Amino acid sequence: MSELLIKNAVVCDPLNNINCEKMDLSVKDGKIVESVSSAAKLIDAGGKLTMAGGFDGHTHCAGKINVGRFMSPHDMRMNPIPGLSGKVAPTATTRAQVGYNTPNTFAIGYRYSKLGYTTITEAAIPILAARHTHEEFESIPILDKLGLTLFSSNWQVMEYIRDNEPDKLAAYVAWALRSSRGYGIKIVNPGGGEAWGWAKNVSGLDDPVPNFDVTPAQILLALAEANEKLNLPHSIHIHCNNLGKPGNYETTIASMKLLENVKTSRDRQAVHVTHVQFNAYAGTGWRDFETGAPMVADYINGANHLTFDLGMAMFGPAMTMTADGPLEYANSRLLHAKWSNQDVELEEASGVVPVTYSSKNFVNAVQWAIGQELALLVKDPWKVMFTTDSPNGGTFVNYPEAYTLLMSAKKRAEIIEGLPELAIGRMALPGIDRELDLYELAIMTRAIQSKMYGMATKGNLGVGADADIAIYDINPDSIDTSVEHEAVKKAFSGTAYTIKSGEIIVKDGEIAATPEGKTYWVNATVPKATEDAMMVNLVQKFKRYYSVNMANYMVEDAYLPHPVEIKTEAI
Amino acid sequence: MQIVTLSLKEQNIVPIEADTITPDNFAGKSTDEIEAILVYYGNSQASIGELFNVSVDGSDSVENTKIIFDGNVPRVKRIGQGMSAGEIEINGNVDMHCGSNMTGGKITINGNADSWVGCEMKGGEIVVNGNGGYYVGGGYRGEACGMAGGKITINGNVRDFLGEHLCGGEIIVNGDAGLLPGISNSGGTIIIEGNTTMVASEMKAGTVVVKGNVAEMMPAFREEGTEEFHGVTFRKFTGDVNVGGKGVLLVK
Amino acid sequence: MAVITDAICSLCGSLCDDITVTVEDNKITSVERACILGRNKFVGMFLHDRIESPMIRKNGELVDVSYEEAIEEAGKILANSKRTLSYGWCSTSCEAISKAIQLAEETKSLFDSTANVCHGPSALAVQEKGGPAATLGVVKNRADLMVFWGCNPAHAHPRHMSRYSPFSTGSFRQKGRKDTKMVVIDVRKTDTAKLADKYVQLEPGTDYLYLSAIRSAVNGHEDVIPDKVAGVPKEDIIEVANMLKDAKFSCIFYGMGVTQSRSKYKNGDMVSSLISDLNQHSKSVMIGMRGHYNVTGFGQVATWETGFPMAIDFTRGTAYYNPGETGANDVLTRGDVDAAIIAAADAGAHFPQDSIKYLAKIPVIQIDPYANPTTEVADVVFPAAVVGVEAEGTAYRMDGISLRMKKLIDTKFKTDEEITSDLIQKVREIKRGA
Repeated sequence: MSELLIKNAVVCDPLNNINCEKMDLSVKDGKIVESVSSAAKLIDAGGKLTMAGGFDGHTHCAGKINVGRFMSPHDMRMNPIPGLSGKVAPTATTRAQVGYNTPNTFAIGYRYSKLGYTTITEAAIPILAARHTHEEFESIPILDKLGLTLFSSNWQVMEYIRDNEPDKLAAYVAWALRSSRGYGIKIVNPGGGEAWGWAKNVSGLDDPVPNFDVTPAQILLALAEANEKLNLPHSIHIHCNNLGKPGNYETTIASMKLLENVKTSRDRQAVHVTHVQFNAYAGTGWRDFETGAPMVADYINGANHLTFDLGMAMFGPAMTMTADGPLEYANSRLLHAKWSNQDVELEEASGVVPVTYSSKNFVNAVQWAIGQELALLVKDPWKVMFTTDSPNGGTFVNYPEAYTLLMSAKKRAEIIEGLPELAIGRMALPGIDRELDLYELAIMTRAIQSKMYGMATKGNLGVGADADIAIYDINPDSIDTSVEHEAVKKAFSGTAYTIKSGEIIVKDGEIAATPEGKTYWVNATVPKATEDAMMVNLVQKFKRYYSVNMANYMVEDAYLPHPVEIKTEAI
Repeated sequence: MQIVTLSLKEQNIVPIEADTITPDNFAGKSTDEIEAILVYYGNSQASIGELFNVSVDGSDSVENTKIIFDGNVPRVKRIGQGMSAGEIEINGNVDMHCGSNMTGGKITINGNADSWVGCEMKGGEIVVNGNGGYYVGGGYRGEACGMAGGKITINGNVRDFLGEHLCGGEIIVNGDAGLLPGISNSGGTIIIEGNTTMVASEMKAGTVVVKGNVAEMMPAFREEGTEEFHGVTFRKFTGDVNVGGKGVLLVK
Repeated sequence: MAVITDAICSLCGSLCDDITVTVEDNKITSVERACILGRNKFVGMFLHDRIESPMIRKNGELVDVSYEEAIEEAGKILANSKRTLSYGWCSTSCEAISKAIQLAEETKSLFDSTANVCHGPSALAVQEKGGPAATLGVVKNRADLMVFWGCNPAHAHPRHMSRYSPFSTGSFRQKGRKDTKMVVIDVRKTDTAKLADKYVQLEPGTDYLYLSAIRSAVNGHEDVIPDKVAGVPKEDIIEVANMLKDAKFSCIFYGMGVTQSRSKYKNGDMVSSLISDLNQHSKSVMIGMRGHYNVTGFGQVATWETGFPMAIDFTRGTAYYNPGETGANDVLTRGDVDAAIIAAADAGAHFPQDSIKYLAKIPVIQIDPYANPTTEVADVVFPAAVVGVEAEGTAYRMDGISLRMKKLIDTKFKTDEEITSDLIQKVREIKRGA
């Protein structure tokens, strides 16, 4: 039984409507409690900014990132942000660290912790390769993890949609989540992965998937329906078609509109649209490329069925990795960059390509602006999740830099001044003077995640919540975040304390302990008769088309040493 | 002028990594100070004084500092790594990565240089009076650029992958070169006096001249008449066509 | 009697997962569906060369000692070394590999896999150009053209062709072999080549030139191709290039004939570029025919834990990677290390003479179920359980799909993972004592 009393914390806890107020926090056995005994260990926060542990709701941290690492020995020696990148020798507490965009598993755990993050979401788990994802999860110290399972070009899914079998579809989704120990439904470029099986792509929501006679729109609608039928804690999580292409903002808005009438089974969004920066492009080609963020933001401001995340692009080297196979191939040809690809039988495609966002390149400069425009033009912060789609738009150690861009118009103006004239004319950012405050930042970096993932014990500091706490070395009462952006960046780059499940894991920016984190997954049950009927079809798939036996397909318990099973029942 | 003379007290087997041995690090320092500088020796560190006899003559700026290795140092890596000025003379064979990442100054090796000599160098000059190993002027694994500036002269032969991923600078080999010299050249110049094979594959830009025989030409170059180079007429090829290359390859 | 279905064969990189094993009195009495190589592993293991006890070399002879004594001796070797080579770890589980990495990190050792004498160049190629690949089931379902280059699955991966490639059937290949063209490119007409629709014979060491010529043809630059490249007439080169372009889905399976021939990793690098060029026309992927059943897993685990797939040098504390400098044979032929630990691989049988001669001069720790040529040069020997038969754990198939190997029978031997954990503890103990 361990107790902790944090005194004089200035707490920003939007889920509990606490707007940076001075208070004490009591911690017992890893949870926030009303009070503790006098034997509790005392931490004097001294008026420092205190938030729930950060929650990255969309990052690539396990599985596909290993493809990126494998092809990038050069990344392992990059050290643009000392303390949060590059090679670091092991200590008595920590293992050896390497890398920047594709750091090793240990570095991922330590560096997220230093930024005050305690929970991360792997954004793409192919079912067949899920075992690998969980092996890497196990190797990432400290953090709690959850992962989204891919259903974008899955044969079983597309056939059930084509054959109009919504119950069997839901049964299959439940089985696949259980098989992959996933938390929710991820859909990447719906249908595009199957087309990529023939080196082709789908061109939009209504372009039928070759050989399957279904459209991306049908895939989205049917999986949204299955999601609600299974009463899943998260909504469908979508990466829209046509990502990365000029003019794609129309596809993005159309995809959002398509899902307006989804009836949700829980009090949450009907759809989460991810890394919208990459899907908010206007123009007809790269020559007349310009921001589409104002149009997308306009639509979102009038909608109340969705959340989205930014996918901000940060200047410097990055590593793109996505289940959007055809996009990555196109990137590699455009950029003359190295290209890895991994198509997964009956399920998915994927690709990995290194990129550099250069402030001198007009397209990159506009991309840099678009992510920020989305954050600032959408009025309600409870619709906006902060991400860089790490490491696609930039690796997570750039988050402190990204926060300060959103919090300081002055800082933005200084950077915009140095951008190409052509780029400035194609972005909306120079005309935006909104600056996020710490409360809004707390919403976008931990509170909205708690709501959109249905994880009441995460992203807040109310009684009963997990004692995942970040204390940053700035005083909200005295700091002017719009001017003192350097101090803000420094504070967010290394916490005074990060506390995970009640244990101090970072102190004064250095790792103090490395416990193992938990893995959250969703076990949805459907009526047995429906499952049995579905299994008849699935068994055939394994017999005829998979290269592994069904018995060896599902992730075994051995790969989740600290599981947290969330049970739901089909409606 | 400051002259620092080093000789190994005893021939080592496990390699010494001596990236601290540069004029930049030695200039203005006394014998004692230089002896105290640490190098890696296997999985621990040792001082220069423990491993080398050190004598220092004079004290001067980096530009006017010369380091002389008296005898072979075939198990001492990374000598002169990152140096910006001054001079190093090695009177014998030297281990890998000599002069890697250097930006200025001069290294003369009166013996053979093991692989990665002048790796990723950006300026300055390296002269090897014996043979070079693999990846002369090459790059680190996975990098897009090897050597980007400066000049390397090898008076003997070199092994495979000469100037891999060259992005600038000049390499002259007075002997023969092994497999695939000038592979993925993106803008540097390579002159090979002797024989070689499979030259300039995937060259995007730059120039490669082979004065001896090319045993096997890459089937990815287009012949475009002749060109004079240093008063001699060569057959001119451009390519590599498979990377849309605009490089020039001159062969006999 | 127990019948275990869906067992995984831990022999080659095909990692067949459909084996039925019958166990009676803790002995495997029947094995169904495995090939002859796999069958031998399952049932032959007690019939040959098991190491029965920990051993230490005393006065030139290996003598039986207690496990504790062997750990003590091995710990001393590791703690006293200025630079140790830790090599092998490919015929074992990912869990053991992870432990071995921790041991290498704590002892500031070099850490390398059998890829050093096998598919290591494939990793270097990926680092140059990327690896455009697919899982084996994708090929099984889609590929109407399969190319086997410098590999001979008929002998090395006996069930590959029936499970995953030309003789399998799939969704868009209902007629199997009839729906697929098969091309073999090799320096000699192997038994695999005899099954092919087209066989291309290359002059030894010319793969790189031939690949470049194929690319020139695929990319519309036929004019630059001379009349003959790599001993192959120009018309023939163009024919193969057209087969690749015209296929709906092609896969190039490549083996050690590509990775270990004259231009080494630059061959794989060129295959990767060819695949990229081909995707301008139609779908194409490449898959390496990995040998040891978990050499792929070594690459995966090492990459996520250290950042690099092989040839990792912790000598200076942090991980440094430079094959050519930090590979097992690089340091052995130069004599750059003063101790070695060799586990779950037989360096004695597969290394060049110079390397073995050097191993004989330095203290060597061996962890292996079987006595083999490495035992001849070992100073401390640990017998280990056979992973995939006597111990469970994770392995990666050649296409990067991981599977869980089952424990089929009980054993008195410790696992690689347990032995390595004990070594870590011992080294810590010695260092703390010092």
